[in-house]
Amino acid sequence: MGMIGILHAIALAFYLLAGALVASTLAAGQREVTRPALFAIVAAVAAHCAALVAYSVEYGELPLVGLAASVSTLAFLIGAGLLLSTLLRQARPLALVLVPLIGMLLLVALMLGVRPSGAELEFRGVWFSLHVLMAFIGYAGLAIAFSAGLLYLLQFRALKEKNFGRAFRFLPPLETLDSVGQRALVLGLGALSFALLLAWAWTVRFRGSLTLRNPEVIWGVVTWLVFVSSLAARRGGAGDRRGAAATVAGFTVVLLAYVVLRVLTASGHLFL
Amino acid sequence: MLTLAGLSHHTAPVDVRERFAAEVQAGRHSLVDLLASEHVREAVLLSTCNRTELYAVTDGAIDDTALFSMLPKPPGIDAASFQQFVYVRRGQEVVQHLFRVVSSLDSMILGEAQIQGQVRSAYESAAKLQREHRLVGPVLSRLFESALRVGSRVRSETRLGDGAASIPSAAVELAKKIFGSLAGRHAVIVGSGEMSEIAFDCIAGENARITVVSRSEESARRLAARGGAKATTIGQLPDLLPAADIVIAATSAPHNVITAEMVGRVLPKGPKQPLLILDIALPRDVETEVGAVTNVFLYNLDDLHRVIEGTMERRRAEVPFAEGIIEEGVAEFQNWYNSLEVVPLIRELRQRSEQIRAAEVERALRSLRHLSEQDRAAVDVLTRQLLAKLLHQPTVRLREAVAAGDGADIVNAARYLFELDRQLENDAG
Repeated sequence: MGMIGILHAIALAFYLLAGALVASTLAAGQREVTRPALFAIVAAVAAHCAALVAYSVEYGELPLVGLAASVSTLAFLIGAGLLLSTLLRQARPLALVLVPLIGMLLLVALMLGVRPSGAELEFRGVWFSLHVLMAFIGYAGLAIAFSAGLLYLLQFRALKEKNFGRAFRFLPPLETLDSVGQRALVLGLGALSFALLLAWAWTVRFRGSLTLRNPEVIWGVVTWLVFVSSLAARRGGAGDRRGAAATVAGFTVVLLAYVVLRVLTASGHLFL
Repeated sequence: MLTLAGLSHHTAPVDVRERFAAEVQAGRHSLVDLLASEHVREAVLLSTCNRTELYAVTDGAIDDTALFSMLPKPPGIDAASFQQFVYVRRGQEVVQHLFRVVSSLDSMILGEAQIQGQVRSAYESAAKLQREHRLVGPVLSRLFESALRVGSRVRSETRLGDGAASIPSAAVELAKKIFGSLAGRHAVIVGSGEMSEIAFDCIAGENARITVVSRSEESARRLAARGGAKATTIGQLPDLLPAADIVIAATSAPHNVITAEMVGRVLPKGPKQPLLILDIALPRDVETEVGAVTNVFLYNLDDLHRVIEGTMERRRAEVPFAEGIIEEGVAEFQNWYNSLEVVPLIRELRQRSEQIRAAEVERALRSLRHLSEQDRAAVDVLTRQLLAKLLHQPTVRLREAVAAGDGADIVNAARYLFELDRQLENDAG
């Protein structure tokens, strides 16, 4: 295992440690994510960042092309989002959902082997990199909105059923979760919309026309529709709860769409 | 000797405790008066609604009756019942007791936060009188400083103070689990009685916007005037619901004031944002079915009590950790306190050594008349420094041995070796 693999493994170890610490905080009935857990998250994101920098230095390209590299980058962006959310004290329990998610993505990346895909040079330009980066910011936003939505539903249920146990104490207020979810969706939709526009412009320039049969395009459009429907669900009566439920369902749809598209389409695509 | 006499919620009912507290508040019992007693060297009086306790450093001879006489004497409590309410502690038990008190382990509500401020206030009040009346000397000063440190450690290192332990704080905790901050939220308080007043103060303290609703506009206005809130009559309540975040119902009405039909009429799809309804009235003001409306969170007094009970259960689980911290604090204080026993011996040793040094220097200088004044001063300084260095280590060792609790033999040995026992006999003779 080279330096890139070792740094990824260190990041994964710190994420696992952070996950265990956050879970033990909940199990112990404490109200807040403890300082050691926060340190573990910071260390994990730092090690992950170092791994991606090492990748760029060693291979002379950003880790945006190829399944393993792009999965690692997506995991890093979600980690960065988690780190950002920990600045808001009340939002720290989001780690309960996000850390396992990041851990799984990192594990997949490590199993696939984080190395360049050997894709054509046209996939390495600035426009393409920007497109991938913006799309991943969109997906990271959806993941954060999903975690906020899931915790919202759990806290809503605890409050409604008057279950004042560990989850009630540990989980953030509904208002905080709603606010984080809303912001993540708005930011994610903006980034993904920009990424789709760039993809359209890039395809028209290099391929002449955009084919909707491309599974990556289908997945991108499905995700965009999920964003829009999640935001739309927040309008009208009981909007917060419906929005949370729609986001959780939408994220699940995006994951399922990925699996279905991967099974149904021939391999050889950059991200599928 | 460290001594404590007092009464608390463990030994006296509230009507007795409040009479003791009133005596102190009215200034009819002053610490300064205690100085009339020849037995008292230092004193601090702690008086709260749940306890009146006198902490004192006394000479060993003082008995319980003399101690009782130093406590306040509220009218209407005869000597027999007085003794039934009062307890006395001596020595290390006093240290343990105060450390438990300041850590709120002895409080009526386990983990309550006020007691630490009350102990600090009692100590500071006595310390203010220190210059004129020598109320707080080295022992009580050290005891109370240590107690406050232990109390702070218990609060920061355990979760004894976590959670809501009263109806108002449980209500605020629930509200904060929904809204995060309550600042700027619109709260409607239905009713203008005593419970409404408590709710008003609680919510106003969180900077919420308040509208008071009552049967008569006048009583609503009276309550609203406590904090610049709006006031209106109960007929307006349905119109207020759609814009409300929190509704606190606390009327004395014999029937439901907020019904499912009313909520369904003004909020046919349920509220868009969560609506918290706290029904703290008995009989209840809010129909149970209202709680089934989507986005409506309805809690009554039983629910709030469950929040409190959950808190108390978690706090009770923290008690062993707090006891551990207290034990450490008591041991540390006791070591220091034990080391005080050796102070007279050290003083004696230094005095005796100084006498010998001064006599020997004087004798030597008589035969060294040729020395200049400067040289004589140098000889004097030299012998003082020698003596200081020679006595430094024995002094430190003596303190350490006594603090560790095994100093009796060493103290006796020191007396024997430095002839301090003979000195004592001579002094006695």
